[in-house]
Amino acid sequence: MLDPNNISFEKLGFKAGLEVHHQINSKRKLFCHCKPALRTNPPDYLFERKFRPVLGEMGDFDEGMLIEYEKGYRVIYHAYSDCTCLYEQDEQPPFWPDLDAIYSGFELSHWLNCSALVDVAIVARKQYLDGSITTGFQRTLIVARDGWVEVNGKRVKITNLTVEEDAARKLKTENYGRTVYYNLDRLGIPLVEVITDHKDCSNPKDLKKLAEIIGLTLRLSGIGRTGIGSARQDVNISIKGGDRVEIKGVQDLPMLDTLCRREAVRQDMLIHIAKILKEQGFKPDDLEHTYYEITEELPTESIPEGLSVMAIRVPKFNGILGLEIQPGKDFGQDVFEKASLISGILVDHMFHSDELAETAQRKKKDTIPFLISLIDKKIDNKIRKVLYLKDKDAYCLAMGKNSWTIHAMKKIIERLKYAIKGVPQETRRLLPNGNTEFLRVIHGKDRLYPDTDTPALDLDLQKIQHLKEQVKKRPWELEKEFQEKYGLEFEHLQNLVHENRLLEFIHIVNKNSISPKLVYSYLTETMKHLRRKGVDTSKIYLEEIMEDLKNAYSVEKPSIYDYAVAKYLQEKGDKK
Amino acid sequence: MKKEDLMRDPTGYKGDLRERLIRDKIGVWSIVKVTRGNSVYEGVVLPRSEHTAEDYLVVKVDTGYNIGVKITEECTLTEIGYQKGHYHLPEVAVKTKPELPNVSLLGTGGTVASRLDYRTGSVLPAFTPEELFSAVPELMNICNLTPKKIYSILSENFKPEYWVKTAEAILQEFRNGASGVIVGHGTDTMAFTASALSYFLKELAAPIVIVGSQRSSDRPSSDGPMNIINASTIAGYADLAEVVVCMHGNTSDTYNLIHRGTRVRKMHSSRRDAFKTLSDIPLGMIDSHQNISFFKDDVKPRGKIEDTYLDTKIDPKVAILYSYPGWDPEILNSLIDLGYHGVVILGTGLGHVPSDFFPGLQRAQEEEIPVCIVVEPLYGFTNLRVYETGRDMLALGVIEGANMLPSAAYAKMIWTLGHTRNVKEVEKIMTTNIAGEITNREPNSGYLLMQGIEENIKKMTTTLDPNPREHYWGTQADKEKK
Repeated sequence: MLDPNNISFEKLGFKAGLEVHHQINSKRKLFCHCKPALRTNPPDYLFERKFRPVLGEMGDFDEGMLIEYEKGYRVIYHAYSDCTCLYEQDEQPPFWPDLDAIYSGFELSHWLNCSALVDVAIVARKQYLDGSITTGFQRTLIVARDGWVEVNGKRVKITNLTVEEDAARKLKTENYGRTVYYNLDRLGIPLVEVITDHKDCSNPKDLKKLAEIIGLTLRLSGIGRTGIGSARQDVNISIKGGDRVEIKGVQDLPMLDTLCRREAVRQDMLIHIAKILKEQGFKPDDLEHTYYEITEELPTESIPEGLSVMAIRVPKFNGILGLEIQPGKDFGQDVFEKASLISGILVDHMFHSDELAETAQRKKKDTIPFLISLIDKKIDNKIRKVLYLKDKDAYCLAMGKNSWTIHAMKKIIERLKYAIKGVPQETRRLLPNGNTEFLRVIHGKDRLYPDTDTPALDLDLQKIQHLKEQVKKRPWELEKEFQEKYGLEFEHLQNLVHENRLLEFIHIVNKNSISPKLVYSYLTETMKHLRRKGVDTSKIYLEEIMEDLKNAYSVEKPSIYDYAVAKYLQEKGDKK
Repeated sequence: MKKEDLMRDPTGYKGDLRERLIRDKIGVWSIVKVTRGNSVYEGVVLPRSEHTAEDYLVVKVDTGYNIGVKITEECTLTEIGYQKGHYHLPEVAVKTKPELPNVSLLGTGGTVASRLDYRTGSVLPAFTPEELFSAVPELMNICNLTPKKIYSILSENFKPEYWVKTAEAILQEFRNGASGVIVGHGTDTMAFTASALSYFLKELAAPIVIVGSQRSSDRPSSDGPMNIINASTIAGYADLAEVVVCMHGNTSDTYNLIHRGTRVRKMHSSRRDAFKTLSDIPLGMIDSHQNISFFKDDVKPRGKIEDTYLDTKIDPKVAILYSYPGWDPEILNSLIDLGYHGVVILGTGLGHVPSDFFPGLQRAQEEEIPVCIVVEPLYGFTNLRVYETGRDMLALGVIEGANMLPSAAYAKMIWTLGHTRNVKEVEKIMTTNIAGEITNREPNSGYLLMQGIEENIKKMTTTLDPNPREHYWGTQADKEKK
């Protein structure tokens, strides 16, 4: 049994970093004049597209892009008359960019101590073939490099800060994931992307704090938009002997700890598997791209019409495909998930020979996948005979439409050949239980090329310098002040910022002798309670708060909370 | 200059920066380290975009981003390596398949697949069969496609002489056994070329399909690949012997429309579905499975290639004028002074010009310069008998262009004047239909411009292609087809 809760991050050589995406609080979208608003009503119109890779600037197809293309999506867009226009439809060139949003990026780079601010902003195109951007590329511009933030007393490097357009929102998929629906409303909303050095955090605790510090900076500076979906982070994780794995779209920070543990365990197991394979003398050439049609060997009446079952020989892998690499998931499934995403064959329609064992991971599930329930010892023997397998050899099956199945088999072989190298560099998706699954090959630099529609932007260098004056105390500076001056913790600082009460807090505690803890609890917990009781707390201003705090002391109420509840609820009642 | 030095030329850089780069032996593709204040940049020097300021060095850094660095006296600049960028699409072996039709693709400068020229930021076409097939592999299953570049110009730089060369090149392809010819063309003046070719190729026996892309082919979402796939199918298989334009039918990648060359017009500056047939419905459509269906019953079927011949006599001394309030009559006079041989005027409404143009029209009549009127509203017919102005214009010898589009009338006047300068004969040819440029009736459906507020329009705009094309993967699909 794997136990992700009982691992040493230090021993594993765990390294992590973040790519924080946060929407900029802007009046318009980055490259058109649509309002940045999200919609939940039915769309006014739909349209559909297909995508193809194009050459990167240095003349190569990006490998990640080719994989995207192989997925062969049909992409359908939901669009709205009032917040999407021909720009989001990729039916017209961009308008002049929203310079205010770009200057916000520069202001943020001052907050984050960036030393290299660009003098001229060049809009680049970053290819996306998943359909999330109608043009097939995201317009992005680098604003600054080489900054840092302080996390738990250590400096974490900011490598890059970019301003870019947000992508469309994925709604659902159909046809085994081949048809993808997107809502266009979010496309084009300006974002800042803050990329931290992916080796600077050595444990999940620091990583979470890093995300919080960056998030807090965006709040304190007023640069970030607030609200659901306005921030998400990609997490880069590697361990000693492995390679960088990027996990996309983590919205929920408490999840970070589970995610890091489960991903570290997975990478550790992949390295372990590579070691076993080396010991067994496995060579990638042992795997051949030969796919055997074996539908006849199975009880044919149970195979749905039009589908066939194909098999591949997997020499020297017996016992390896069944190794658990994340809680409840064996190596075989990790491989299948990738093949499934690219080919469209369901994971349930794939099988590996270690799954014959009663202890197989998928046999512990409530519903046993169709193909697993079909294979028994007798059929297994037949298949092994057909494939001329030796004891140490394994095999994989996939069932589906012929061309799809062959595609799946091809992907399984390619992935298994890589097993001897350990951890493949890839972009993965976070699953609800904290496991991850393959999303795409990590996008390389070949997918970036200059935007031919927007000339380089000459910027007002003086204005950029002056933006430095906007910078106030950074979160880690405030954190220190809170600890030393007020005896409060980072968490308290966070709550005050989220309640929008930081300025009032500092004012009150500096002008009065009231205990900072009391002021804190009044400004956060009491306000929250009042809101729950229906009081509009945004209308309670500084002077009134000071008054309340003083009164609460003088009348010696049992608690300031009771005092406030009595006062504001009565006021509310009076108004009625 | 030695070859090595040529390669190291700081292409595009100017002034002091260029001198410094040459002095330091740093050129394009050098890997450099630039120190500027506290910042250090390492990356490949790219050819400078012609649109950025002179003192900026453009460097592609390791993350793939391009960064413009202002180079001042204080900066240090060191070459630490060299990396040449070069374009190559993965090679695809091209084999002729005897069972597939032969189709020629004549390139004039429009692109269907392409690569990028970062110096100007412009797009260079991918054009060899290998490049085309690797960019659009589906083509291999449709036809044996032979691309030929006849010239490489932007369509706004087209001239009537190029129409003639294009027509000659097309006939040559038919003589060499092509089942159909595709002309890759920039979209701006595509409709003009389509009209001219419609008059030039007589007894046309096979399809000529003009195609391009509205959204540049250097983008993953370009309409170019689908347009070329559909054009190849029409050229190879359709029972059609006309000059047609084949472009997207709506904003989705679901179907293309087949427009008659003389009735088509670019009606939007950037949309994929910019091309529309005016005052009539399109000839047909081709869906996402490459099924072709025709809507009109007068589509000319294929004939014998031997019968096709060229008639490309032209006289390009023709001008187009646009009638508008405040239009200065001297404009017409100066055209006559400049020795123009014919004029096409977009008259307002039914085809009117201001009455202060009458002396000019009279002069044109006296000097035997034909003036053909088409309508400024683009849709509908001329009629100069309804109002007195019109009757006066007729008395001054103007030719009624019926429902010819301006592009069709212009190309036709050029072609006509190449045959005769006799005004009576010119009038006869200009008012007789040659290739669908004049129809004798306009159906209601010839003018269906939706405004977005019609009842039931939401049903139309939210209905998806019921029968989308299934995806397949490379060589396996080839096998299955057989």
